[in-house]
Amino acid sequence: MNGDRLDRGALLRWTVVLLLGSVVVQLFVLQIVRHDAYRRQAKQNREVERRVPAPRGRILDREGNVLADNVFGAAITVSRRALTPAGPDSTLSRLLTWFALPEAETLERLLRQQREGRSRLVLVSDATMPQIALVREMADMLPGVAVETRRRRRYHRGPLFAHLLGYVGEVSADDMRRHPDREYRPGDMVGRTGLEATREAWLRGRDGRALEEIDARGRVVSRRRQLLRPVQPGRDLRLTLSAALQESLAAAMAGRRGCGVAMALPTGEILAAVSLPTFDPNRLAGGISSDRWRSLTRDPEHPLLNRLVQAIYPPGSPYKIVTSLTAFRTGAAGPHTRYLPCTGSYRFGNRIFRCWKATGHGDVDHTAALVHSCDVFYYQLVQHLDLASLAATARLLGLGRRTGVPLPGELAGNIPTREWYDRRFGRGRWSRGVLLNDAIGQGEVLVTPLQMVVMTGRVATGLADLSPRLVLPDSGAVAPAATPLALPAPALDWLQRTMRQVVDIGTGMRARLASMHVAGKTGTAQNPHGEDHAWFVCYAPAEAPRVAVAVILENAGHGGAVAAPVAARWLRAYAEWSGEGSGRGD
Amino acid sequence: MATRWRGPALPGNGSVLLLAFALLCAYSLAALWSVTEGIHGPYAILASGVPKTIFWRQAVWIVLAWGVLLAVRKAPLSWIEETTPLLYLGVLALLGLVLLAGPVVAGSRRWFFLGPVHFQPSEPAKLVVVLALARWLAAYRERQAVAVAGAAVIAGLPALLVLKEPDLGTSLVFAGIALVMVFWNGLPLRLLLAVGSPLVSAALSFYAQTVVHNPWPWAVYMILLIMVLWLGERGLLESLLLLAGNLATGIGVQFLWRGLHAYQQSRILSFFNPARDSYGAGYQTIQSRVAIGSGGLFGTGYLQGTQKGLAFLPERHTDFIFSVIGEELGFVGSTVLVVLFGVVLWKAIRVAEQARRPFSALAAVGVAGYLGCHVVVNLMITTGMLPVTGLPLPVISYGGSNLLVTAAALGLLINIGSRSFEV
Repeated sequence: MNGDRLDRGALLRWTVVLLLGSVVVQLFVLQIVRHDAYRRQAKQNREVERRVPAPRGRILDREGNVLADNVFGAAITVSRRALTPAGPDSTLSRLLTWFALPEAETLERLLRQQREGRSRLVLVSDATMPQIALVREMADMLPGVAVETRRRRRYHRGPLFAHLLGYVGEVSADDMRRHPDREYRPGDMVGRTGLEATREAWLRGRDGRALEEIDARGRVVSRRRQLLRPVQPGRDLRLTLSAALQESLAAAMAGRRGCGVAMALPTGEILAAVSLPTFDPNRLAGGISSDRWRSLTRDPEHPLLNRLVQAIYPPGSPYKIVTSLTAFRTGAAGPHTRYLPCTGSYRFGNRIFRCWKATGHGDVDHTAALVHSCDVFYYQLVQHLDLASLAATARLLGLGRRTGVPLPGELAGNIPTREWYDRRFGRGRWSRGVLLNDAIGQGEVLVTPLQMVVMTGRVATGLADLSPRLVLPDSGAVAPAATPLALPAPALDWLQRTMRQVVDIGTGMRARLASMHVAGKTGTAQNPHGEDHAWFVCYAPAEAPRVAVAVILENAGHGGAVAAPVAARWLRAYAEWSGEGSGRGD
Repeated sequence: MATRWRGPALPGNGSVLLLAFALLCAYSLAALWSVTEGIHGPYAILASGVPKTIFWRQAVWIVLAWGVLLAVRKAPLSWIEETTPLLYLGVLALLGLVLLAGPVVAGSRRWFFLGPVHFQPSEPAKLVVVLALARWLAAYRERQAVAVAGAAVIAGLPALLVLKEPDLGTSLVFAGIALVMVFWNGLPLRLLLAVGSPLVSAALSFYAQTVVHNPWPWAVYMILLIMVLWLGERGLLESLLLLAGNLATGIGVQFLWRGLHAYQQSRILSFFNPARDSYGAGYQTIQSRVAIGSGGLFGTGYLQGTQKGLAFLPERHTDFIFSVIGEELGFVGSTVLVVLFGVVLWKAIRVAEQARRPFSALAAVGVAGYLGCHVVVNLMITTGMLPVTGLPLPVISYGGSNLLVTAAALGLLINIGSRSFEV
């Protein structure tokens, strides 16, 4: 046409055919060849299987007061995909500027969550209204950022129940590996310690599954959903504890360092258990800064330690109960047995053993020795006994082994035997002198406060299978303790009467109450950490025991002077609580 | 020339083009009605997200477009030819004005707001450039160098202004129009091959690397080139030089691309597709392919598509309307539409061939280039063959500016076709 032999019209036409033809070929490939794959993908685009999280069970006290439950908090989360293109104008940099977040710390937190394999990363776990408003307002500039409601654990009484309830944290990779049956997902709550940890399976429940319709940005567009598996909410945990009694016990201890525990008789239900100093579990649940954590773990007073079961102390004079009962059991001594008078000290071999009362108790019989806690009497009594029978009695009363209460990290304590000393010092390298220390609860004897209250309860009730319980049975009653202690009845009878005298006329007079008779035993335990630990164990009413109490105040001085008044203050509150104010008849 | 087959003998009075336009209008209204209807999800009917007024506005635009088409069909061609310089200057002024005074919408200045009407000056500019090029090239037919240089300026000025808006897709359309018209006007094939083919080689190589991640498009092109050179009985030296040039640019682009840092590559890809970063690479392309692919042979059924709304393509009533048609009407429905466009383009080239006067022929081929660019690029984007850059599908996509200009272009074609036997 234009001088050369090229048909330009035909060339253009065939170019059009070629180009549009390639489009048709592509349509063929997409719509016919790969149709099934794309149809599946289209279905996936609009339906997603979602987890419907089960709410964690609440924790209630024996009267039904809520101690721990869940609240909904708003969290600002960002999808992992939305963070990948980094740069000066990325979603991440906008988030950092707009929310005024500390860059290094935030990045570290996001990276950690990313490593855990989460698809949505938590940016702000407890968002404020202005922050939520900002996300809603600027949604277009913050692709992948959303406000999510998340359950958070709330501990209503804060530090009061911290050691018993424990707290929850975020599930770790290790938890997920060890319990595949619990179907943990990153970000889930899991009990870290306390009853939250030991009763995890009970509290957790089982997540449901549902199909939800979503749009391409993952937003749920349809409220209706198809339930694939119903949610099983976590069950409530009803405790034997009473919030009122717990509060009175904490108040009675008045912020001193130590532990107090009260157990109902003859059920073994723990009514109150306080370990001081304590901490606020609300601050630990769901993330804590490493600074705060360090200050808690390095605190010389060990606030995280649950002294009820995780601390072991020399029992001091209350251990004389074991020594006396062993003497009765073996026939080595009776109520009126006498030895050389107490002059304030006792010579054994070339060693001097002192009585706590430097001026001496004078001539005392077995009963008076326990009432006034004469050490010299027991130095002489124990020489008629042996380690094996002492240990047997201690075990009968629940010492030297774990009580099995559902709290993590419970220690067994130590009731030394011949084998133990052989292992400890070597065969033949220790003398019978150790017996003298053991007799008065010093030396190598170590117990937990919980064991001490169990011992007191068993002495009060004469029941061998009395054990502590923290959780009320779900339905019906657990068979109560019924097996009598394998001890001669007159021995127990003598002990109970003598323990009442301890309070009435002896070292425990500061525990006397107008409302009911109290039977107890004081203790002042020497220890390598400074001032003596003050012990007091007791039960009341003395005629028909309904409650046993053990109190230890660390480095506080004399048990009779310091620990006994604490028990008395709590027993007064208990009397009021139980409506047993008219107990004193004789 | 008369011995050569030039396709089916189509009636010359423009009835084919009128019928095609009517069918395209019907497609557009049907698709827009569907897009503005609720979406039938598996459990509920959901709001569409595109208001019904979009449909009614398009209906009004279509009525106006028919008026424009019929008016242009009857207008004297000499009058159109004479006012072309004036139109060209007016369009340049509007393009300049929109850059200075136009409001910023989504980061660019493309629009004038005249009351309820949004007007995009770059749309009429395309048709006016067609006319201006036709007049220039017709005037300097005997002096190719002047013709080509002038054409570059005439198409280049508005292209630069549009590029500044910024609107890469539209400025490439100006280049496409100029290329087709200069080629038609008699650019020597040797020059075209020497300059054009290495550029095509480079573009295909880049395309193969960044879009399809597969060397086949470039390889197929090279095989075709060798076949063309063989059949064209070109000299051996010339053929080898051409092949070497094509290899050099094709492979050179690869080395250049791989030498870039990831962020530089990302920037270049974002230049071609600004939406790329907003929600992951190729998001729109992927969603569009899923929608079309899920249509199958006959589609999900009219109004039954689920992806159109849920997939949340922001331009599902404009640039990505073809994916809605692909999903609901399937391979059959979308192929019919592609064929319909093919008929329009085929007919436009026939009109050019049959035109007596050079201006008329060039105008017709320019219209073919203009519509062809829009149709081919838009379809290739929605089917995932090209990276995303915003270009509407003529007549089908919602939008008054494009619809009126397309109607005027078709009117011009019918006008020229009806005068093939005039001197």
